[in-house]
Amino acid sequence: MTVKKDKGRKALLILLLIFPLLLAGCWNNRPLTEINIVAGMGLERTEDGKILVTVQVAEPGAIQPASAGGGSGGEKSKPVFVASNEGETVFEALRGMLAVVDKKLFLSTAQVLIIGEKLAQEGIGEILDFFERDHEVSYLVDVIVAKDATPDELLRIESDMDTIPAVYIRGTVENTAARGTVKKTLLIDLFKDMDCKGRQPTAGQITKSSDKEVRTEGLAVFRDGKLAGWLNPYETRGFLFADNELKGGIVNVPVDNGKAAFEIIRSKGSVSVEVEDGKPSMLIIRVNAEANVGEYGSGGRLDSLETLYMLEEKLGEEIGKEIEMALEKCQKEFASDIFGFGIYLHKYYPKCWKEVENDWHNIFSKLPADIRVDAKIMRVGLVINPVGKGE
Amino acid sequence: MFGRIRERYREAKHKFANVRVDASSYGPIPGKIKAVQARLDEIFSQCNDLVIKEISCGKDGRIKILVVHIEGIVDRRLLNQDVIHPILDYLPSVQSEDSSSIYQQLSKCIVISSDIKEVHEMWQAVNFIVSGDAVIFIDGEDRALVVGVKSPEGRQVEEPDTETSIRGSREGFVENLPTNMVLIRKRIKNPDLKMEIMQLGERTKTDICICYIKGLANEEIVREVKERLGKINTDAILDTGIIEQYIADNRLTLFPLVGNSEKCDKLAGKLLEGRVAIICDGTPYVLTVPYLFIESIQATDDYFDHAFFASFMRLLRLLALLTSNLLPALYVALVVFHHTVIPFKLMITLAASQQGIPFPPFIEALLMIIAFELLREAGVRMPRPIGQALSIVGAIVLGEASVAAGIASNLMVIIVAITAVCSFVVPPLIRATMLIRFVFLAAANFLGFLGIMVAVVAVFTHLCTLRSFGIPYLAPFSPLTAHDLKDSLIMVPIWAMITRPKILRQQENVRGVKGSKRQEVDKGRDSQKG
Repeated sequence: MTVKKDKGRKALLILLLIFPLLLAGCWNNRPLTEINIVAGMGLERTEDGKILVTVQVAEPGAIQPASAGGGSGGEKSKPVFVASNEGETVFEALRGMLAVVDKKLFLSTAQVLIIGEKLAQEGIGEILDFFERDHEVSYLVDVIVAKDATPDELLRIESDMDTIPAVYIRGTVENTAARGTVKKTLLIDLFKDMDCKGRQPTAGQITKSSDKEVRTEGLAVFRDGKLAGWLNPYETRGFLFADNELKGGIVNVPVDNGKAAFEIIRSKGSVSVEVEDGKPSMLIIRVNAEANVGEYGSGGRLDSLETLYMLEEKLGEEIGKEIEMALEKCQKEFASDIFGFGIYLHKYYPKCWKEVENDWHNIFSKLPADIRVDAKIMRVGLVINPVGKGE
Repeated sequence: MFGRIRERYREAKHKFANVRVDASSYGPIPGKIKAVQARLDEIFSQCNDLVIKEISCGKDGRIKILVVHIEGIVDRRLLNQDVIHPILDYLPSVQSEDSSSIYQQLSKCIVISSDIKEVHEMWQAVNFIVSGDAVIFIDGEDRALVVGVKSPEGRQVEEPDTETSIRGSREGFVENLPTNMVLIRKRIKNPDLKMEIMQLGERTKTDICICYIKGLANEEIVREVKERLGKINTDAILDTGIIEQYIADNRLTLFPLVGNSEKCDKLAGKLLEGRVAIICDGTPYVLTVPYLFIESIQATDDYFDHAFFASFMRLLRLLALLTSNLLPALYVALVVFHHTVIPFKLMITLAASQQGIPFPPFIEALLMIIAFELLREAGVRMPRPIGQALSIVGAIVLGEASVAAGIASNLMVIIVAITAVCSFVVPPLIRATMLIRFVFLAAANFLGFLGIMVAVVAVFTHLCTLRSFGIPYLAPFSPLTAHDLKDSLIMVPIWAMITRPKILRQQENVRGVKGSKRQEVDKGRDSQKG
């Protein structure tokens, strides 16, 4: 009899233990059908000082309509919808958006975060705080700054190339990053540079080139969290050479009667600072680049060492020129050390850094620079008897 | 050889039959033939298959002889040739009135059979009658002659349906115990191969054979097997499956703690590793103990194949095992909780497939898995000819229609299909997997990856606590026995496998001669296991 009673009690206990599990069941448990998959996000400051948040939401059903014949039997819907909302803060604006959209916004999937020019000029520190705090935002989202266009406009374009415009934008960023005319900036990179005094953050630049296309080239340079100005594609490449971030690219060099195009295969760049009497005296940039000849405008066989040495020298000069342009702009116009000379000082001359730390912008912009580029030509191509000129 | 084994089998059976005391007290065999007949009629009332043949002999036929057997289970040809004919031939020459001398003559010279026993108790006689022997009662004698004329009827030895292999023997065990014993003996021709017979089941009196190789098998395990078998107290043993449940170390676990096989070469291999086999009359499934977890991903073919392929197949089986357990759970956890880890493109695909499905993924998975299990069960139970109808219905309803109707998503169908395919890769664990899958699924739905982790840890903890005849179930991994890893997930070539698994603690561990790989290939083949 007692055994039976015990068994009954045990069963009851187990049952009671199962109930709380069921109660807790729905905690943070959201099926995919109950979220809006955010593909891209845009932030801009409105005229009256509020923050305008724009989200581009992917509609999976419209992108892959072949699946489940559920519900909507109507005409083909658009692959994305764009919604925007104003608010005093980013968080408020985002939450307020729920009044417009049907399901909760899921931010982790965002491919791009576009920051409006105006907002960038006023400072991005305030809005970055939200992204740093929120647990749902992926740190690996691409951050780009819109030039001459609002994020809202950019997110509303309808690209022919990819059903989801945000994916298209991310694709262009990746392409141009491989060509060396934009620096792919992830949100986490931005966080890192924002807090660092020895290096100012940069972000990619995006412009609207037509109704259906965007152009991501160039770089937005920040200074103390505010947009200081833009680098054009060539300057950007110069910066990337020095920053050791260049993945490849085409450098044109004027030769006797035409131009030669070199494809950068590998490039190694480093920055350092020369210190004299405990004070920084010279900025030093060293770049070792390896390139292939892609096009040789003046023709000829390119088989003499003299020609190659000459070309190597010219290529080096050209790269040096680009770096110089970038550095000069950063020194003279923006007074913003995006190269990370400060970090070098901090690392190797910590005492010296402590002295100059607070006035680094000014000191940086007045220092002379020594730029040395060592370019090497690896291959000249398959051509033995080039057509046309020469011969 | 057949005869020799059958003989030994009979001796052993005789021994055990004598040891075992029947509950019913039929009393001794009465001296008078009338009384015997009356007792038999009483005991075998309503048994129309009992045949009592009366033969009269002596002067005026005063001495009567009864030949008693059960129709059908005796070999009629053998009975006539060995018993009836000789008796009839002998009768005219009988002059004596002395029943005792007739008995003597019958047992010594007349009945031509190698298998003759003498019984004194009625219950013994009855026992032999029901197990298919013929019993001869003689008027005036309080003892009876038992002649073994059991017919070896039954299925032919054929390839087992449940365990097929590409390489290796196609012989499978049958229902007949002596045949099975021969099948093993044929592979291991060695007097060290011991076969001990005992009877289990008060009512069914089923013959059980404990089979092991003396000198290889651990004596303690052999003793333990005998002890556990002896403790079984039930009236019916119909299959080794029943024995399995009685002798398992942990009777409630979902995991198999006793192995079974229908394949002779596999069993021979297990015996040569030092395991003990239990054969039961009436079933082709032979048990092997101790059974370790790793055995479920070992296949007979592995040992007959190149070690590289075998190792790859084993890893594949492990992957299949994990997949069949965890895939639905992982999928549910992914789409319900962990959207963050899904790549964007995949997420679009997932979300698109989920769209329009009225159920949450958990319910959806549950429905599809149950539907599959139903189909599987129906496939096992239904009469063969209906099979085609079922497969059509299953394929269309489960696959196409449920997706078209918007009840299940494409992906879920794929997931369940992969899960099902994977579960068939590791047959010994199909049943365990079937239930544990639901546990994982529920855990995933409540707590996501965390839940799965908790469930996985719980299952592994449980696996670690299991023992099979004292041997840790997860050996050689836990406890880690480096020596035995040679034949676990990765298998070393057979010529390098010169020792048996250490964990079984055999008395003799070496299989071949160390270092003589080439010359000893033939020798090594002898000790290949299945």
